[in-house]
Amino acid sequence: MLEVRNLSKRYPGRGGIENIRFSVDRGEIVGFLGPNGAGKTTTMRMITGYLSPTEGEVRVDGQLMTEHSSKTKTQIGYLPESPPLYPEMTVEDYLRFVADLREVPVREQKHRIADVLERTGITGRERQLIRRLSKGYKQRLGLAQAILHRPDLLILDEPTTGLDPKQITEIRELIRELGEKHTVLLSTHILPEVEMICKRVLIIDRGRLVEDDRPERLARRLEQGSTLSLEVKGKPEAVQEKLLSISGVKRVDVTDSPSKERVKLLVTVQNETDLRERIFYTLAEEKMPILEMQRRDLSLEDVFLKLTTSEGGSQADA
Amino acid sequence: MRKIWSLFRKELQLYLFSPTSYVAFAFFFLVLGYLFSTAFLGAQRVEESMVYNPMSLLFLFVTPMLTMRLLSEEFRQGTDELLFTSPINVFQLVAGKYLASVTVVVFLLAVSLIYPFILFSYGSVDWGKLSAAYLGVFLLASAMMAVGVFASSLSASQMVAGITSFAILLAFWLIESVSDALYGGSRELFQKFSPIFHLNDFEQGIVDVSHVLYYLVFVLLFLGLSVQSLEKRRWR
Repeated sequence: MLEVRNLSKRYPGRGGIENIRFSVDRGEIVGFLGPNGAGKTTTMRMITGYLSPTEGEVRVDGQLMTEHSSKTKTQIGYLPESPPLYPEMTVEDYLRFVADLREVPVREQKHRIADVLERTGITGRERQLIRRLSKGYKQRLGLAQAILHRPDLLILDEPTTGLDPKQITEIRELIRELGEKHTVLLSTHILPEVEMICKRVLIIDRGRLVEDDRPERLARRLEQGSTLSLEVKGKPEAVQEKLLSISGVKRVDVTDSPSKERVKLLVTVQNETDLRERIFYTLAEEKMPILEMQRRDLSLEDVFLKLTTSEGGSQADA
Repeated sequence: MRKIWSLFRKELQLYLFSPTSYVAFAFFFLVLGYLFSTAFLGAQRVEESMVYNPMSLLFLFVTPMLTMRLLSEEFRQGTDELLFTSPINVFQLVAGKYLASVTVVVFLLAVSLIYPFILFSYGSVDWGKLSAAYLGVFLLASAMMAVGVFASSLSASQMVAGITSFAILLAFWLIESVSDALYGGSRELFQKFSPIFHLNDFEQGIVDVSHVLYYLVFVLLFLGLSVQSLEKRRWR
């Protein structure tokens, strides 16, 4: 559906986009992740044809963006970072204007507008001035605008920023629904969002694509030994010493000791070994009962930090 | 065509909504009314030039006010992302907006027709001469609007766009006074570029194709520059 090949955008004197390549298949929901300023918006703007790349190409359905721009543009629905709305227009006038721009046949316009209003939950506000809409409704209208011409490919630039938690849930639900019919590329810096909606994630950092995988797999692949969090009854130093004597344990950090006889620890275990049983028996022999033990997988957040901070390694050792 | 029409309609709608346009209308009619009244009462004669003489100067001030919003506001609001990711080309965009601004010129000129009718009630009016003059003023104002569209394509700030278009228009205005200071060939050369000079014949009731062509070329030049300036934004 979407193919991005060696896409670069260079600006004199500051970093741009360097050699980004990926492709998205029909029906996929792909998350586009990266810290602020990494180049998410620039990449999306090049895909939608708003900016021209310095090098490389964008193909939508096999068609080159630069050559078949007007045909390709009818296949893309785009919600920029701030929804492109005219505050002085009413919701209905605005959507009619967009429908004209996007070549929706006049006969179908009324029906389509009613349809997107319904899907985005704006029905009943057709005659309202856009200026008077709340932020959440503006965002919905932005989405309505993007899906009005039934595009195959939806590009959404941070669709949930600035919304309250209830609205965020609603918009995510809507995006997931849209993902059933459309191909979606969605940028965000909210990590749980990606875990929740996307089946695949692309991570971009300082203009370069650093990862492209499924969210769970990414986490597992980057896991350098898993972590166990423990709460044990016993003297902190003694417990720590005992745990370190178990082979396979890399590191033990005391995170908290609520009293002299109780301690909370983080145990880092070497690659892919499950030491839970051994820890249990070892501590049981010493009469140090385990009050709590939990295995912690690396969250996408940790992966993200590992990939996008160059000092990731030294941070883990600190 | 439908897209140009749709852009045109949206732009007219926004003209009706924007306070700036009402300020511009008020300024235009207030000053025109004042100048007409004093000229008419002072001279106690019926003269067509009382109506159209002040207009070219008024458009110098009104044009930046009426055009500075056209593209700047799209950049500022981020709606240019909608326009440039839609299947329209830059030419259609410029055309739709420009036609809307020309429609406003037509509106201003149409309302100003009350003055010839006031004159008519006191004496005889040369309608032929008056029509020629109106055509000339219309062409001049349309040319100026094209400058305004171009200035608006340069900046996301309406203020900067307005000042830029005023500066360009003023520069064209001053060509006339530069040519006055010169003699012979260089004078004629300068006059050829002056938008005011090309209005003179119209005001005498003469419609010369070469003058019409001058204004058309002027419009196309500045609309072309606007298209270029918009295309360039994509390569930032």
